[in-house]
Amino acid sequence: MTKAELTAHITTTFSGQVTVIENTQPEPYFIVKPEDLVAFARFIHDDSALQLTFLMNLAGADTGERYEVVYNVCSYQLKHRIFFKIQLPHDNPEFDTVIQVWPGANWFEREVWELFGMTVRNHPNLTRFLLEDDWNEGFPLRKGWTGTDFIPLPDRG
Amino acid sequence: MGLIKKLPVYTEHIPGGSLVTTSVNSVLTMAQAKSLWYLLFGTACCAIELMATGASRYDFDRLGMIFRASPRQADIMLVAGTITKKMAPRVKRIYDQMAQPRYVLAMGGCAIGGGPFYYDCYSVLKGVDKIIPVDVFVPGCPPRPEALLQGCLEVGKKIRTLKLDEWS
Repeated sequence: MTKAELTAHITTTFSGQVTVIENTQPEPYFIVKPEDLVAFARFIHDDSALQLTFLMNLAGADTGERYEVVYNVCSYQLKHRIFFKIQLPHDNPEFDTVIQVWPGANWFEREVWELFGMTVRNHPNLTRFLLEDDWNEGFPLRKGWTGTDFIPLPDRG
Repeated sequence: MGLIKKLPVYTEHIPGGSLVTTSVNSVLTMAQAKSLWYLLFGTACCAIELMATGASRYDFDRLGMIFRASPRQADIMLVAGTITKKMAPRVKRIYDQMAQPRYVLAMGGCAIGGGPFYYDCYSVLKGVDKIIPVDVFVPGCPPRPEALLQGCLEVGKKIRTLKLDEWS
C-alpha cells in the first residue's frame, strides 16, 4: 500500500487512538498511546491488508521532555513499512512488551530497559546484557547522565 | 652465511674450517624478533586493515609474522580496534594466557586512547594500556598497513635490545 492508503487504513480502524505525524518520508509515522500499544501491535501484525510481521527496529529516545520508544515494522509480503512511537513521562516510565506479537522485540526491549531505565512490563527476561556485569552507574543514554571517566564533549564554539 | 653478518661473532680459524662463537642472547633475541606470531585480536575496523596487512599485497609472513588463533601459541598481541569496558576483562584474561615472553602492539586511535569514543561515551575503555602493558603504539584511524608493518618492526627492534633476564 502507499503511504496515504496505509495512513487511511490505520487511522480509520484505530480512529481517535493514533495520531499521525506529518512528514516527508516515504513511510507513515504514528503516535500510539502506551495503553493501546499491544492492541495496536496485534492489529497491524494480524490485519490481512497490513501484515506487518517483521519488527525491524525498536529504539528508545530521551527528548528531554519525555521518553519515547520508536517501533519500525515492515511487511515482507506486501513490501511496505511504517513507524510508530509511544511517549512516556519522565517519572516512572513503563510500557508493555510486544514479544507476544514480534518475538524479535526481546533483546531490543532489554536494551531500552538497560540504557534508558524504562521498565518493560511482562518481559520474560529483563536482565543486563550490554553493559558490564558489575555496572552500577545508572542509565547512560538518559539526558544529562554522567559517570566515572565520562568526559563530555567540550564546547568549541 | 647471512646469519653471521648480522650477529656479533668471533670467528676462529682452525685447521679444516672455522669455528664461530656468539652469545646466546643475540641468537635468541634475533630468533624471537624474526618470528613474532601474532594473536588475532580484531575488535573493530582496524582488524580490516590488519587483514589487509596479512594478505598478499603487504604479506605479513615475510616478517615471520603468522597469525595464531590461540593466545597459547602467540608471541605478540595486536590489539586492533575499540576495546569496550565490557571487553576489557577479556583482554586482560587473554593477555594473561599468553606464554612469556609476550608483547603488545596497540593499533589505532581506539586502542591507544579511545579515539573517536573519547568524549561523550560511557562504554569505551580510553586506552588499552590501562589494563595491559603496551610495547608499541601505532596511531591512525585506522593505520595504513605500512604503519602497522613499521610498528611490528619497532617491536622487533625493541626485542633485539633486550637481555635474557629482561624477557617478560
